Amino acid sequence: MTVVSLGRAEVLRFIDAAVPDSPIVLSLGGIAREMLAVAGRKGNHFVSLDAMGQTVSVALGLALGLEKRGSTGKVLAIEGDGSLLMGLSALSTVGHLKPGLLVYVLDNGVYLATGGQPTASADIDFVAVAIACSWQGAREVRTVEELAAATDWALQTEGPILIRVRIGTAQLPVRYFLADPAILAEDFRRWLRSSMHARDSRQCS
Amino acid sequence: MTGAGAVAEDERESQQEILEQRSAAIIAGIEAIDPDHVMHLASSTLKIVLSHFIDGPGARRGRRVFAMPREEEGVAIAAGLELAGARPVLIFQDNGIGNLLTSLLTLCQPYHLPLLAIVSRRGGLGEYNSLIHTISERAEALLDAADVRWFQLDARTPVSRWSTEIERAWAFARTTHRPVFVLVNLMGS
Repeated sequence: MTVVSLGRAEVLRFIDAAVPDSPIVLSLGGIAREMLAVAGRKGNHFVSLDAMGQTVSVALGLALGLEKRGSTGKVLAIEGDGSLLMGLSALSTVGHLKPGLLVYVLDNGVYLATGGQPTASADIDFVAVAIACSWQGAREVRTVEELAAATDWALQTEGPILIRVRIGTAQLPVRYFLADPAILAEDFRRWLRSSMHARDSRQCS
Repeated sequence: MTGAGAVAEDERESQQEILEQRSAAIIAGIEAIDPDHVMHLASSTLKIVLSHFIDGPGARRGRRVFAMPREEEGVAIAAGLELAGARPVLIFQDNGIGNLLTSLLTLCQPYHLPLLAIVSRRGGLGEYNSLIHTISERAEALLDAADVRWFQLDARTPVSRWSTEIERAWAFARTTHRPVFVLVNLMGS
């Protein structure tokens, strides 16, 4: 039987459509570039251009900060297996602090953006690691149906939640993304302010 | 006690007095900033400061105080906190500067995210660790090479000014939209 892997672009397109109004921290490389290709520039997407290993930590800080401001929604992070392994200690901090965080780990087993060198992920059970670090829940998915079900579950479940998505190594033909990071940060903050203002207005009306 | 033993005892008392005075000044400076998140890493020289925030009067309601496993992780968490409009402060030792440079130079510096780090000096006079100077003596050079703005608080600055200088460093980080490190010497030199 031939098993057809999920494509990264397909997964990114699904996440963007499923969670269009939540803050999302995008990991560097192919994840950021392919999300830009399938969804375009989105105000709710914070694009990490190079901080490998730090995606989950940035999302953790964001979640803590927004909770402080009264937000009850989830912050998302879309991370790769190589970058997660570089900053694996973040899982322990997240498990300790338990923010409203949903982390997708798009796991293709390689550093795809640099030529496909293998990572150690084939021997790592990210779901078990997250649970061992006291996350509220974690699942592994291999099909779009499983991804949809896991996302529905995650959005209705108190965080932090980790979803490991097994993907293939197909890539979209995308260009490098050469935006000024200071502008990216300010665009994202502007979206956050607008989003918080809209929330406050709804609560007052 | 007489002779060398008495001198050594006097020196220990003097060191302890300096540690307590400078620690109190650092606590006052950080409290004046009123951070809502304090991240820290293990440090024997910072133990008074850390105790204040972990289980002392600084562990107040509405403030999150937690350990960062690595300095670079703390920088990244602080970046997210800054994006969300929070007021984080990082506290750690200078031998961790090497750990955080990539995170600092790929997040806070280029994204123009302010960050205040209180960094204790190690490896100088009064040091008890035989090798920590190998990294700590290079703290200023590492930060200069990375174009990270830093200020130093030691015996050259009256301890009565320390808390104000820490407050000013916080404001300076925000005014200039970048990380600012305050290097604090708690060991008496």
